Amino acid sequence: MENMVNKVARIPNLVDWSTGEVRLMSAKCNSCGTYFFPREHYQHRPGCSREGVEDVLLAQKGKLASYTIQYYPCPAPFKTEKKITPYGIGLVEFEDEKIQITGIITDTDLKSLKIGMEMETTILDMYTNEEKQQVVTWAFKAIK
Amino acid sequence: MRDVYIIGTGIHPWMGFSEQVFADFAAVAVNDALKDANLEWQKIEAIMAGIFIYGGNAGHLSGQYLESIFGETGIPVVNVYNACATGSASIRMAYNSIAAGETDTALAFGADVSPKGFLTAKSDNAVQDRDVIRWKMGGLPNPIYWALECRKRMEKYGTTEEDLALVKVLMSEYGSKNPHARFKKQYSIEEVLNSVYVCDPLRLFEICPVSTGAAALIVTADEELISKADNPVKINATTMGSAMYGDPTIRISALSCPSVPEAPMLSESYSASRQAYEKSGIGPEDIDVLELPDNSSWHYLVYLETCGFCKDGEADKMLRDGETKIGAKLAVNPSGGFSSHGEALSAQAIWQVIECTNQLRGRCGERQVEGAKVAMAQTYGLMGNSGTTIMTI
Repeated sequence: MENMVNKVARIPNLVDWSTGEVRLMSAKCNSCGTYFFPREHYQHRPGCSREGVEDVLLAQKGKLASYTIQYYPCPAPFKTEKKITPYGIGLVEFEDEKIQITGIITDTDLKSLKIGMEMETTILDMYTNEEKQQVVTWAFKAIK
Repeated sequence: MRDVYIIGTGIHPWMGFSEQVFADFAAVAVNDALKDANLEWQKIEAIMAGIFIYGGNAGHLSGQYLESIFGETGIPVVNVYNACATGSASIRMAYNSIAAGETDTALAFGADVSPKGFLTAKSDNAVQDRDVIRWKMGGLPNPIYWALECRKRMEKYGTTEEDLALVKVLMSEYGSKNPHARFKKQYSIEEVLNSVYVCDPLRLFEICPVSTGAAALIVTADEELISKADNPVKINATTMGSAMYGDPTIRISALSCPSVPEAPMLSESYSASRQAYEKSGIGPEDIDVLELPDNSSWHYLVYLETCGFCKDGEADKMLRDGETKIGAKLAVNPSGGFSSHGEALSAQAIWQVIECTNQLRGRCGERQVEGAKVAMAQTYGLMGNSGTTIMTI
């Protein structure tokens, strides 16, 4: 993994790299078994007691369930220092957690995208903030 | 419950961004609706107003702003927001108030001046509003959500780029005949397929933009008003649906969705339409005119399936075989759809009901569906909002 010192997520509690791997921060309801992303996006099964929701990290790898290539820059408040358009957006499926998550596709040949291909969670550098930290978002890349 | 009839409709034609005040657009539509119903303003007993979310305090109290233009009379004024199904909520409240006997005659309206360019986040609190996350970190304008679902559909059912383009060809043909439409140019399949990708597989001409517009509807159970009206249209059912647990659709503004479906796709619209079928005793097989929310070509196809007009995966064939054209058993979007109008959030559901009403009243000129007796308007709003209205003459 690249040097993650002095990197900060633009919004906290979404992506974690403290274990040495980049993983998405989810929550699991131990009553109805549903995983949530972001953690506060509660989606309990009707009738669930809603007891025992715990923070968990999703698997590091998943499969591409769908994708698109965006040809226009995303408007503010989205911002990156470098031009990233056109950029890929993937919907990555985490099989054990039964959840699909959207993310920008980075470090991947966009022409090679195919539903079902293996992807891993990573980060994308967005811009440098006033504290000289590299601000990042979560992203996905093809496993080479 | 009493029978409720539409006796007056008014539209401010759809257009691009405007510096004009939203309430002035609303006033044009309401004035036309009053004239159409041959009704004095003082006869309106309730106002159900769609909220204009980009309008600040005025937009959140759009009903009060409208009422003051025509003259305040002390009646109940309720302002409601259900994303792009806002108009459905205002119609449903007007209907319920009358059907229950609380009021005899009510006004439902919506007016929207869309912001320049994309719709974006309306708060800065990422914990309570995940829309902030999708804009700040997700890089996810609305059409991306539709493209992700469209790609899944192409993989699953073999929908082609030609199918997506054909939707626009048909919508532009009808839109060119609609004086209320914002886009009146007719496109060939080659022109659509040569338009640039916004987010592949969706091209520029296959997604709808944001628009400015206003629409107003006067509904009543007053027998004298009904008897005097020009071709009153009966509302057989007007419903709202929300999403169901396990719906696999990636909803606009969400960052995740379930991977194992336990509910239909677009479950909010599945729910709204099934409620309407049950309440009215009218089913898809009985409907002559359908206005569905073609925010993109993907929506046109999937909504035929969601609302039960064909089985899953069969909409492409219906389209290719001409079964959705004016002149076929079911005419889909004879107005030219959102493709020819664009979205004016709080007004669009009312506009769809008005198009259906105009078809049933035989007022649609070149795009008239001959002999139309039963019509259905179906909306789609982000984060699990939907409404269905079924009407007859």
